[in-house]
Amino acid sequence: MIYVRESHVEKMGKTQDVSYEILNVLEFNSTRKRQSVVCRYRDGRLVLFCKGADTVIYERLGTGNGDLNKVTRVHLEQFGSAGLRTLCLAYRDLAPDLYESWNEKFITAKSSLRDREKRLDEVAELIEKEFILIGATAIEDKLQEGVPNCIQTLSRAGIKIWVLTGDKIETAINIAYACNLLNNEMKQFIISSETDAIREVEERGDQTEIARFMKEEVKKQLKQFLDEAPQYFCSPSGPKLALVIDGKCLMYALEPSLRIMLLTLSLNCSSVVCCRVSPLQKAQVTSLVKKGARKITLSIGDGANDVSMIQAAHIGIGISGLEGMQAVMASDFAIAQFRFLEDLLLVHGRWSYIRLCKVVMYFFYKNLAFTLTQFWFTFGTGFSGQRFYDDWFQSLYNVIFTALPVVIVGLFDQDISSSLSKKYPELYKEGVRNMFFNRRVVAIWACFAVYQSLVFFYFVSLSSSTSRDSDGKMFGLWDVSTMAFTCVVVTVNLRLLMMCNSITRWHYISVGGSIIVWFVFIFIYSGIMTRFDRNDNMFWVIYVLMSTSYFYVTLLLVPVAALLGDFLYLGVQRWFFPYDYQIVQESHKDDADSINKPDSQETKEHLTPDEARSNEISQLPKEVSKHSGFAFDSPGYESFFATQFGKYVPPKAWDVARRASMKSKSKPK
Amino acid sequence: MDTDRERHRARETAFYLFTQQSLPACKPVLTPGWVIAIFLFMGVIFIPVGLISLRASHCVVEIVDRYDIDCVPEPSRMDKVSYIQDDSIPKNCSHFMKYINPSWIDAEVNSYSLQMYVKSRSDKQLLDGQKYHDTSSCQPVESNNNRPIVPCGLIAWSLFNDTFEFIREGAELKVNRKNIAWKSDRGHKFGKNVYPFNFQNGTLIGGGKLNPEIPLSDQEDLIVWMRTSALPSFRKLYGRIEEDLDVDDVVVVNLMNNYNTYSFGGKKKLVLSTSSWLGGKNDFLGHACVFVGCSSLTLAIIFMLLHVKYRRPYGDMSYLPWNRKSFSG
Repeated sequence: MIYVRESHVEKMGKTQDVSYEILNVLEFNSTRKRQSVVCRYRDGRLVLFCKGADTVIYERLGTGNGDLNKVTRVHLEQFGSAGLRTLCLAYRDLAPDLYESWNEKFITAKSSLRDREKRLDEVAELIEKEFILIGATAIEDKLQEGVPNCIQTLSRAGIKIWVLTGDKIETAINIAYACNLLNNEMKQFIISSETDAIREVEERGDQTEIARFMKEEVKKQLKQFLDEAPQYFCSPSGPKLALVIDGKCLMYALEPSLRIMLLTLSLNCSSVVCCRVSPLQKAQVTSLVKKGARKITLSIGDGANDVSMIQAAHIGIGISGLEGMQAVMASDFAIAQFRFLEDLLLVHGRWSYIRLCKVVMYFFYKNLAFTLTQFWFTFGTGFSGQRFYDDWFQSLYNVIFTALPVVIVGLFDQDISSSLSKKYPELYKEGVRNMFFNRRVVAIWACFAVYQSLVFFYFVSLSSSTSRDSDGKMFGLWDVSTMAFTCVVVTVNLRLLMMCNSITRWHYISVGGSIIVWFVFIFIYSGIMTRFDRNDNMFWVIYVLMSTSYFYVTLLLVPVAALLGDFLYLGVQRWFFPYDYQIVQESHKDDADSINKPDSQETKEHLTPDEARSNEISQLPKEVSKHSGFAFDSPGYESFFATQFGKYVPPKAWDVARRASMKSKSKPK
Repeated sequence: MDTDRERHRARETAFYLFTQQSLPACKPVLTPGWVIAIFLFMGVIFIPVGLISLRASHCVVEIVDRYDIDCVPEPSRMDKVSYIQDDSIPKNCSHFMKYINPSWIDAEVNSYSLQMYVKSRSDKQLLDGQKYHDTSSCQPVESNNNRPIVPCGLIAWSLFNDTFEFIREGAELKVNRKNIAWKSDRGHKFGKNVYPFNFQNGTLIGGGKLNPEIPLSDQEDLIVWMRTSALPSFRKLYGRIEEDLDVDDVVVVNLMNNYNTYSFGGKKKLVLSTSSWLGGKNDFLGHACVFVGCSSLTLAIIFMLLHVKYRRPYGDMSYLPWNRKSFSG
């Protein structure tokens, strides 16, 4: 039993609570695209109310009342062009015996163990027909704030953006205009199933005929557009291309025979809008690009109908909050608003790419420099396999002495700040072209590793070939190797600092800490001789070393000589062949450090009046509604609260029209 | 408003900065000025250091004399191996060396091959003597006739046993054979109560014999020899001449050419050298420092010239590819 507070237009101002009994609820699903409810009035009248997409409602209308249907259709198109989401409402009176017999079937279907969904759909079909149209509703499904900006920034970054939506074609085109995906200068290719020719064939009703005809149509259009496209391509200043395709046509275009044409055409367009797509088609389009074009795909959605698309792409992102959490649960990343995608990709994505490249390259470099030193040693030992370094040195090299700094780099390295990353989205293309981890980069690091290992080995061993102590005592193998190892650890850690773009306090701590840990380790290791050591080669080695002045001269010389080559290369590269991000770094080198200021403070002076107003409105205390989405925004909501607080909000166009029509109705009173 | 202040305070905490990736950081940008400055600085530091090292190395006098060929008498020069292994032939030899202020003597041996050799020792046994039984690392010179060898191992077995005597103007120069090993080795690695046992008793004699009455911690020859060296060509300290020698003194060396380096093609040399604060005569460090310093200065100068000639406007955004393209439409 539900109660509805009704107030009739005739009795303006007086409300009463009327009770209705809800007998059955036929729930919404995306195949049926409608939902219905059977209710009993207080006077025993049985009514079936239905709400759904206009196509499905119109299919099920009864005869009669044709004028209203036509007028409503015109209105629906107008609403669609205004970018509103439309729904149709219809009702049907039910005779009690008809209802009873149907109800039995419904109960059986509802309690069946297998194929429940299908049976419920079939049962619903039985009763959902012969409707009488009540009218249409249109809801403004506002774009979230910042969406057009975000889309524009992402396309500057070289990311192609496609829109896959379940809305009508007019709504979808409107939204694309609002997002700057389409504009009037672009050449638009439209493949729609709402042309007159197709409607004619549909009215004839023969399914196979319709299918064949539509396929032919789609094929013809695809071919035609594919032939036209190259001429726009050749001139670089020519208009960009856009493709708009309908869900029904997409069904035929995704078939294996036409798929390649669709893919070629759509890859040439700078934006693609698909409307009236079902969730399955969304996934199919995503797979088409992923497998056919071998590009990295990212799909972002907020509703349950986006789940399959999110899972089909390489990266799936769910927007949380508006329409439930299904999209979030199926996704790889979840963000709260669409505009955060910009941050996610341009800031964090780019930083992650740079950090990964650095960490991997550094890891290979440091191990190469370390191991090749032993390799050069084998030439002197007659390839007998004698190890140059003590076992503990080798084991702990990667664990203690050089491990933490590279982790810190992987966590914190930023080539430019987040605000600059968003300001220059074209820097994202560096990652797309894989400029920091290609063969050339790897070869350069490897060369320097070889050079450094030569410096380590030969400088140390040649300089210690005669006595090094002022008393004339000679160094042994383990003294030389400890000296070399000390140089390796110091050099490799200093090289890390040279490779960082931003050095935080943690970098200093970890680099300094690693070197200090090495000294602490070697002091302890060579100072202690226990019963369990296999051999005592390392006993007192470091103290012997540190008692000579040779140690200090070598420790000064060898890291500098080893890093000389790297430093020279860095200087030359940055000067004569700079990467794009380095140019940006240079030009913003003197910007004040503005990390701690929240963004709103920085940009307060630059708000346009619109933005200022929406800022203020967003700070008003709001009623928290269960329907937290904009789709359920009613026109007067904003203006009501705003006027309470003395802020002015211009009323919407249809709001004005509605109030005007109401006034005229009540006037005669 | 209060919430704003709270929010601002929350933003200052270290944890917030850490998780929001906004830690205060220094962002070093390598400008041309810095590159030139660093190269100049390195040049300024390394050239003096190099020159000082070179001077230290030059004040060391070193005289190297290869004797292994000369000391084999003429008839046996063809077959040096059998000469050296023949115990009956006395192996004296006399050499003349002209010195200019030497005071250390090193023996230099070339061309040893290392791995098994380096492993073939047992440090525990050196400390504990026969009480220590696990001498498997000493293979293949572990025991002889079922009696353990102390000290075991190839390194000890191949103990260098050439001896040298120095005579100047008829009087013998005293050579201090004590204190030639590192104090840590003498004190901690070689036991005070361990005596050589069953040493060099086998059929194949690798080197010198040890006096079984002197404990290992006093056998400095053995200690010095056991400190394995890094390269195949190495020097070991033989002893110290503590008297001052004058310029142009002629010293006669009487040596016993016992040690067999002929079977592996090695060379033996006698080195007399003085030592400075940086050790023996080794120009390498000095040369390397000077080289690094000079090349830094050269690079600094080259960079300065290039900077003047090919000046890329620093931080000029028109060099960015997307800005560049816009010029051509």
